[in-house]
Amino acid sequence: MSFFITLIAALFFSVVAQEFIPALPWLYGARIYLLPIVFFYSALAMPPAAMFVLAFISGFMWDAMTVQWVDGTVEVSLGWSIILYAILGAIMSGFRPLFQRGRWEIHCLASGFFTAVILLSEFLMITFRRGDFIVSKMIGWRIGGAGLAAALLAPVIYFILSGIGSLLGYPVRFSQEDEKRP
Amino acid sequence: MNRLTIPAVILLVVAVGGLFMMSVRTTQKVQADFLGIIAPFLKTGSRMEARFVAYREGLKSLDQLEVENKQFRVEISELKATNQTLRDLEVENARLRHALEYRERSPFKLVPARIIARDASTWWNTVKIDKGSDDGLDSDMSVITEDGLVGKTTTIAKNAATVLLISDENCKVAAMIEGAREQGIVRGERTSTNAEPEISLNFLPKSTRLQRGQKVLSSGVGGVFPAGMALGVVNQFEVRPLDCRATLTPTVPLTTIQDVFVVVGKK
Repeated sequence: MSFFITLIAALFFSVVAQEFIPALPWLYGARIYLLPIVFFYSALAMPPAAMFVLAFISGFMWDAMTVQWVDGTVEVSLGWSIILYAILGAIMSGFRPLFQRGRWEIHCLASGFFTAVILLSEFLMITFRRGDFIVSKMIGWRIGGAGLAAALLAPVIYFILSGIGSLLGYPVRFSQEDEKRP
Repeated sequence: MNRLTIPAVILLVVAVGGLFMMSVRTTQKVQADFLGIIAPFLKTGSRMEARFVAYREGLKSLDQLEVENKQFRVEISELKATNQTLRDLEVENARLRHALEYRERSPFKLVPARIIARDASTWWNTVKIDKGSDDGLDSDMSVITEDGLVGKTTTIAKNAATVLLISDENCKVAAMIEGAREQGIVRGERTSTNAEPEISLNFLPKSTRLQRGQKVLSSGVGGVFPAGMALGVVNQFEVRPLDCRATLTPTVPLTTIQDVFVVVGKK
């Protein structure tokens, strides 16, 4: 339970921290997002029920920080990201047994890929609302670059959160004895 | 499947359904409340960022001093760091003095505000400022500097607010060209980044001919933005089949501004 609360705090502070990370001008303005990396770690470390709670919190915070209210309308409804996080988190949960056997690269690769999926979904939603389907190198890099940055940063987040988990008595890895048990 | 999973999914669906059914006003209030919760952390983060920048500048001096004199390295670096802090304060003092003069000259009632966070999203261009409804701010108020128009307020919390920048595609400003009759609509570009903000002047009459460097001002049509505020200077101009379009460079350095004013009324 204490690790679950720690993960909620980590999600909140990742939202705050990512506000201060500037865009990467050499990567066509791609951004570094911490919230998805922390969430996808949670999806692998926590059982599905807890993952859905964290998906709600993550999606809500993401939308609360980004949803635009313009001329009396909301461009993308508050709540879309929750669905997105829940679906992607459910897919991640499928890799949980591998993750528990210590396969840290699952978190790394999936964080990168799913971060790009989140941005692509956002792009498609605003394109649907605004019209003008734009395909450009810049948009590709903004989506793919953010995914790449997330994949590169994921191992750092993984080792920090795994360390905290161990300290709090919630080791995400199964020991060899655990694996032998029926 | 864990016995808690199905109830968790049902709860999630109900909660998301509830969010979808919220009215626009309620959505804005929820968003404002969250901004109110996160604002103290953003303000603290903003202060820490400023201190870190000052400290880093001090360390840069340390490298130079090591080459010159190893013996006094530590002592000199400390003095350099202090000097840097004082220089930062001097620059800040000059900037605020300049801003204060503008506030007195301006025909509007202005509320000075500081940018505490630049939006971390990929597709929207917004900033967060440290003033909110407690300071008399409301949504759809113009945000300006002495150089020109910055944007307008959207979500207002008690102690913070979100400003939609003119470089955002959703921010549309009725505009005119200085010294000419032609009018159009200025809006941001979807591919415009915080690193390289771009705005464009659209729907110009087919007969329009613009030259590089011409200034574009707000026309005041629509009532949200005051007339005569500088928006940008013409960078490129193109004639299209039905109208003309110009790409502008914003007159306000949107990526580096720190202090802004919110127009809360006329004097």
